[in-house]
Amino acid sequence: MSDLTIVLRSLSVRRFSTGLVVLLVALSAGLLLAILSLRSAGERAFERGTGNAHLLVSKDGSPLASVLNGLFYANPPKAPIAYAQLAQLRGSFPWAMFVPTAIGDSYRGFPVVATTGEFFTAFQPVLGEPWVFAEGRAFERNFEVVLGASVARETGLRMGAQLVMTHGSGKSREGGDEHAHVHEEYSFTVVGILAPTGSPHDRALFSDLESSWMLHAHDRFEREGTHKTVTPSDLVEGDRVVTGVLLRLPSRDPLSAPPALVSQYDRMRRDGSITVAIPSNEVQRLFAIVKSIDVLFVAMAAATLVSSACAILLSMINSMSERRRQVAILRVLGASPARIFWLVLTESTVIGLAGAALGVAVCAVVLFAATQWLLSAHGIMIAPQLDARSAVLVAMGTTLLAGIAGIVPSALAYRTPVSRNLRPIG
Amino acid sequence: MAIEPAPALEVTRLAFRYPDGGFELRLPSLRLARGEELLLVGRSGCGKSTLLQLIAGLADPTSGTVSVAGQDIHALRGAARDRFRGRSIGMVFQTFNLLQGFSALENIMVAMLMSDLPKADWRPRAQALLASLGIERIDAPAENLSVGQQQRVAVARALACRPALVLADEPTASLDPDNAVNAVRILREACRAQGAALLVVSHDPSLEALFPRRERLDALVAAEGARA
Repeated sequence: MSDLTIVLRSLSVRRFSTGLVVLLVALSAGLLLAILSLRSAGERAFERGTGNAHLLVSKDGSPLASVLNGLFYANPPKAPIAYAQLAQLRGSFPWAMFVPTAIGDSYRGFPVVATTGEFFTAFQPVLGEPWVFAEGRAFERNFEVVLGASVARETGLRMGAQLVMTHGSGKSREGGDEHAHVHEEYSFTVVGILAPTGSPHDRALFSDLESSWMLHAHDRFEREGTHKTVTPSDLVEGDRVVTGVLLRLPSRDPLSAPPALVSQYDRMRRDGSITVAIPSNEVQRLFAIVKSIDVLFVAMAAATLVSSACAILLSMINSMSERRRQVAILRVLGASPARIFWLVLTESTVIGLAGAALGVAVCAVVLFAATQWLLSAHGIMIAPQLDARSAVLVAMGTTLLAGIAGIVPSALAYRTPVSRNLRPIG
Repeated sequence: MAIEPAPALEVTRLAFRYPDGGFELRLPSLRLARGEELLLVGRSGCGKSTLLQLIAGLADPTSGTVSVAGQDIHALRGAARDRFRGRSIGMVFQTFNLLQGFSALENIMVAMLMSDLPKADWRPRAQALLASLGIERIDAPAENLSVGQQQRVAVARALACRPALVLADEPTASLDPDNAVNAVRILREACRAQGAALLVVSHDPSLEALFPRRERLDALVAAEGARA
């Protein structure tokens, strides 16, 4: 028997209302915690997707669009970079990595990235984490394709499977893109399946540039009224286009940006015909743009938490009529008014603490569900873990709010007249 | 020569004016020796409950003193008075006032929690008290016990901290005559067994036959001529 026993018994007498209030507090705390955790985890997940590229060159309208299209595969880039310009770019600096990409074809809605073998040897999907093949190898010949982990899982394609690309946009034929058409004439063979990276690359397929150019050359021949199977020798300079280039400057530390990055970035930006982006900067910019909405969400969640504290206050005040008799009995048994005050205050604090603890559990469930959904729908992998610092802060804040909410009922209990509340006594 | 212990209760020139000013309770003296039993009878509204509150230190007198086991209870302030009340005075009410949601055993132990009784003694003493009063379902919630059992739990709780004085406020008011006699018998026997003095206030004259010493509160206060 202790004061805590009295508090717990008192709560259990009103178990229904107590349970409801604890649930309300838990949902509020869990919501706030989930938003805080998802915010930081989401930021980390986007940062993972930028990989080890220092620069991304494209002809998109803005650096942000360039990154969203070229690395997160939001939309196929519209304007191509000509072969001559690509060659000029390659010779303009002693790049440590020069990986051209052509994005525009798709398979069952998944984007196909046509690129070079360097994509698998020099480019890292996540900084410091090179590609790992779950099965097979990188493409070595024309019409070989490598599947991202999510593509393999969702399509069920296995090693050696044959597939044909949809040309046009990243949308599937079922998606209603009227410009899309299928290159039935050229089937690709699956030669590799990548291990999950937790980046948008998991939801892409990768083939060689030359094969992609041949598909486009085929279209050119068809437009000219010639029907033939295209070979590399049929390619002309106009076929050899890309939509982006992933660049990396020489650097002693592979995990940090070299000092020359800024000057190189500024130099390239002077060329108005291309768009140059520092991927990590663009992701930060994206988060800065959504920050105000983000703050609004956090504020709404915090307001919910405050309203749950009000619920604690109301619940405890509503229970004052039955509580007064209990207080009077405890006073008769020797409890001082100050002890009564602390007992009631502890009661509200326990509600807050229980709500916070349940909220952390609710948050863990929400985060796990959100992680699964983001991973399957967008290829963004967020580890299902709570942000420990946020969890502690929210739990402390919730408990403190509950304690504050308990001050008024505690004061009322403190002032409860004993004799009046023990009636009938004479 | 042995020193005589202080009486369980000694009231001296006690006066209390109600806040509305319409009634003043005056009690020139009242003494209860250790282990003594007294029935104080009075009609409803004559100030019986007020007197018990003054004795228990739950209300402050306008003047006069109330000593319990030699301690002027009104000389104590705040938590000290509350602790003294918890340790030295047991109270039994008409409606028992057991704590809802607490078992019979816990109702007793709460009283001990509020006193200076060593923690190791709590459970054995509570169990012994309940056993002596015939309560077997000690872990059952108090509200699930029969009326008679609830009353005995209330008696056990009043005696939990070995008080010098037990105050019983209309302990039989909600009982039929047969059960009332039985309840008073249990209360007297329990107090006697624990060596506690017993002051029962009641409006029921039928209880007079059960107590060797009885007083009429009206007569006591009339002696001072203080009724409004």
